[in-house]
Amino acid sequence: MAEASPQGKLIEFNGASLAVMTASLRDTDPVRLADALHMMLGGMPDFFAGEPAVLDFAQLGNPPERVDWTAILSLLRRYQLQPMGVRNLAEHLHDGARRAGLALLGARDLSAESPQTVPQPQVQQTPAPAPTPEPAPVEAAAPQPAAAETPAESELAPTLIVDRPLRSGQQVYAKGGDLVLLAGMSPGSEIIADGSIHCYGPLRGRALAGARGDTTARIFSTNFGPELVSIAGVYRTFERGIPQNVAGRGAQVRLTGSDNLHTLEINPLQYD
Amino acid sequence: MARVIVVTSGKGGVGKTTTSASISTGLALRGFKTAVIDFDVGLRNLDLIMGCERRVVYDLINVVNGEANLHQALIKDKHCDNLFILPASQTRDKDALTEDGVEKVLKDLAHMGFDYVVCDSPAGIERGAVMALTFADDAIVVSNPEVSSVRDSDRILGILQSKSRRAIEGREPVKEHLLVTRYSPKRVEDGEMLSYKDVQELLRIPLIGVIPESDDVLQASNQGTPAIHLKDSDVAAAYLDVVARFLEEDRPLRFVTYEKPGILKRLFGGK
Repeated sequence: MAEASPQGKLIEFNGASLAVMTASLRDTDPVRLADALHMMLGGMPDFFAGEPAVLDFAQLGNPPERVDWTAILSLLRRYQLQPMGVRNLAEHLHDGARRAGLALLGARDLSAESPQTVPQPQVQQTPAPAPTPEPAPVEAAAPQPAAAETPAESELAPTLIVDRPLRSGQQVYAKGGDLVLLAGMSPGSEIIADGSIHCYGPLRGRALAGARGDTTARIFSTNFGPELVSIAGVYRTFERGIPQNVAGRGAQVRLTGSDNLHTLEINPLQYD
Repeated sequence: MARVIVVTSGKGGVGKTTTSASISTGLALRGFKTAVIDFDVGLRNLDLIMGCERRVVYDLINVVNGEANLHQALIKDKHCDNLFILPASQTRDKDALTEDGVEKVLKDLAHMGFDYVVCDSPAGIERGAVMALTFADDAIVVSNPEVSSVRDSDRILGILQSKSRRAIEGREPVKEHLLVTRYSPKRVEDGEMLSYKDVQELLRIPLIGVIPESDDVLQASNQGTPAIHLKDSDVAAAYLDVVARFLEEDRPLRFVTYEKPGILKRLFGGK
């Protein structure tokens, strides 16, 4: 169908912004990295499911003389992570990274771009019957959290929306962002989000928000009855049952307290 | 194209085979050409429930492996002219089932003019169970009114969502129906058993029927007659209702409320 395009171009270049995961490496020794990955993801060789990633070396203490890129890349690919490029890498290692097929990205290349600067020729291809007002792209951008204590990573991760009920044994992970469940979840299922969790319908399995340590993440549910809730690693189980004032009702879970003494608070949601 | 119905549950002993036998019989009684396949390789039961165990020569695995053709392996039911049984193998193990093989069997059944193919799933979530549901268009999820059965049914619904062909190919999802079996209104009333409403609330799929707990089921199994054939039995009536609802006829729920026995019945006994 390439011929069908108006200019007959076989290849076209457009600016695009992608949500990419960064993998911060604090070591470059393949053996130690392999150990660490095995500890983290032991039983799940396909954990990343082909996810693209940028390797960030900002937190690497003393850069070594040379890096065994082949070993590192094959290690990451074994977990189905697809490294695309590197950033914050010491000058003398650039050549090696380039030869390994990795793009050298500047620290700023990954920040969220303003969509307005990107020309969008494709949008106009279909003749619209009436000129519709331009959607405001600026509003679509999520407001940055005012005082984020987490490292300022401003990648814009899309919200993950699940339309069907989540069943026992199923697991969903909203990487980098919020998770919205529109049909609830059953006991024995598990939801994990780096951001907040919004559950319309019964929340009955294990719900873990702020999985990468965001203490401002919250869990909302219209029908509260989970097995476990956790925010940024602070968790609570319900062996003696769900508190009466929230059981089966709208509730929110959040962290209160200061840095070293967080407590998990569960409150009823007020509707009008 | 034949419509493929899987009867599944996750948990064992909840009434999958009883249900497969009765629903396939019910569809055949309505005039549809129906096949019922036992996927429980290694622990076959369906032939006993259908009363055709002495006529088994070839089985599903023979057909999958090309050692016999469908005409040879299908056993004609003794009660209904347009019902055929494809038994499971008792001697092979469940790994003998291949996806391609099962797909071919189902395609061949469609070419033979079958309207419905009922797949009787084994318990568990392993190969046999997954093979039984892979090609399903409809799923009848059988659950007893107790928590572990409901949990397992929930698990199977998840597998249906992820492993069925319809799900993998992004087509319209498998149509799910909840069938609550071994239901005892008295025990529900006494608070010893989940009500069918509780079960439905937990699983959140449409209810196609409630089958009452009854000694008739055991009796029917022992006779090798599907329970739906029993005369004057609540179980048979409930299964006839289920088949009607499957064919999108309106039937009110029956046998779900407990009626206290009258004074005479209490004095003189009775069930």
